[in-house]
Amino acid sequence: MHNVVIVGGGPAGLSAALAAAAAGAPVLLIDSNPRLGGQYWRQPDESFGDQSTQHFDLETGMLLINAVKARKEIEVWSGANIWSATHKDGVNTLRVLLNGKEKIVNTGNLILCTGAYDRTLPFPGWDIPGVMTPGGVQSLIKGHGVLAGKRVVVAGSGPFLLPVAAGVVKAGGQVVELLEANKSRRWISSLFVILENLSKIKEGIYYIKTISEAKVRARFGYAVVAAHAGGNGELESVDVAKINRNFKVKKVRNVRCDVAAIGWGFTPDTTLAGTLGCKQIVAKDGSVVVSADTNQQSSVTGVFVAGEITGIGGSELSMAEGVIAGLSAAKFVGCQVEVSKAHKQRRAKKQRFANALIKSYPVKDGWKSWVHSNTVVCRCEEVKVSDLNYAIDELGATDSRTAKLFTRCGMGMCQGRICGRSVVDLVADHLNVSPTDTDRISAVNRPIITPISLGQLAAGE
Amino acid sequence: MSPAEIKFYFDNQEITGFTGQSVGAALLANGDRILRKTRFNEKGRGLFCGIGVCFDCLVVIDGIANQRACLIEIKSGMKVQTQVGSDA
Repeated sequence: MHNVVIVGGGPAGLSAALAAAAAGAPVLLIDSNPRLGGQYWRQPDESFGDQSTQHFDLETGMLLINAVKARKEIEVWSGANIWSATHKDGVNTLRVLLNGKEKIVNTGNLILCTGAYDRTLPFPGWDIPGVMTPGGVQSLIKGHGVLAGKRVVVAGSGPFLLPVAAGVVKAGGQVVELLEANKSRRWISSLFVILENLSKIKEGIYYIKTISEAKVRARFGYAVVAAHAGGNGELESVDVAKINRNFKVKKVRNVRCDVAAIGWGFTPDTTLAGTLGCKQIVAKDGSVVVSADTNQQSSVTGVFVAGEITGIGGSELSMAEGVIAGLSAAKFVGCQVEVSKAHKQRRAKKQRFANALIKSYPVKDGWKSWVHSNTVVCRCEEVKVSDLNYAIDELGATDSRTAKLFTRCGMGMCQGRICGRSVVDLVADHLNVSPTDTDRISAVNRPIITPISLGQLAAGE
Repeated sequence: MSPAEIKFYFDNQEITGFTGQSVGAALLANGDRILRKTRFNEKGRGLFCGIGVCFDCLVVIDGIANQRACLIEIKSGMKVQTQVGSDA
């Protein structure tokens, strides 16, 4: 019997597992990836050899991964997909697919570290093969040793664009454009926070050095606003626009490329926490996050949360939260352990950096002027902007939920993970209102964690 | 040690990939970027999020549709097909 069950094998999950195990609690760590490390420390098969050149700090990752593997109290299920979860009378029931078989895990003590994925915005041509997320391009390099294309445009907003551009350069690709939508001077207001988080500055300099050596120069105040396919139906070029402070287009020119990696920060994956009934709130940047108390406990007693699902903050904040969640969960099951003041101070310092980050890389309303009436919004169900507007103007939809039911927007295989947030923004914009927290939270409600086939279900225990 | 070669098939054509690579990564390395055709407009789609979130890279693997090419690791002799619509 496992005392603590942890979902997610990234920086938060690994830290939580080690903290709980060291406190004396046996741990089951459930991870959907074939190898531990999460997206941040993603690695290919061991036979690919040393991967440290594709990482800023793989040493820390390997330290945690090897420590988890070495601990007898930690059992790891890799390649395990949770497809359904329920909470009743203090017991959480997870239905897990492992090696094609369904396993059922019942636990009262759960730590969720389900991470985040790239936030994307719809624009004309974003569904053309060759347009990808920066995380997607990076995962191909880090996890599979594959460069997505020779000529790569990296664009969007946020510090994550730097490691992606550096990764492309190191893998032998050409970064033809590196475009940050916001102006660099936004950081000036956070000078104190930078000084107390010098390790992050070191990391930034490491990426910038790699990029500059390849003669790539980042440009600020630019965005990709359209993508065009060639005769083969694959990406051939993108429209690069100079944009104003509110993201409205000023001037456009065309750039040829094989791949466009475009991302706008990250979206926390709160699906599992939401299904278990954990209270979700809307963060300052408009993203939906899981609410956590000072011990990383969610609104559901015995369900702890750590890492990006409590708000985007990067690997260091995730680790700090993971340790506290691990200790709290161990204490919850009766281990003699306390969360120290030092743990909380470390988390607070990393949190201040995360807050400065969010302030420095906003996604401004002007992006909505990039879409046309025939732009696809929901990639799964091929719903266009005009379909959403018809649902509002002619069918009388007065919120995003109703517009979704009329159009199937966000009701495809991804269950609105990709378009959900943008649909809320576009519908509110057409209705000339501001999105409410209810709109935002209902857009991340998903009854199924991961869609599986009926055949897989029938083969279960 | 270097990664071992693995041979599999995409639309009946033999493709070579390496141990631990996903179907999508191995196909992309081979120049195959269109993995499915959409249900309504038959538009080509390929890898987008790359980490199992977007469900845009769906392919048919050994006769079973709706498999995420970005997540499934290649196996020797595996038969992968372009997915047309929702179930090929």
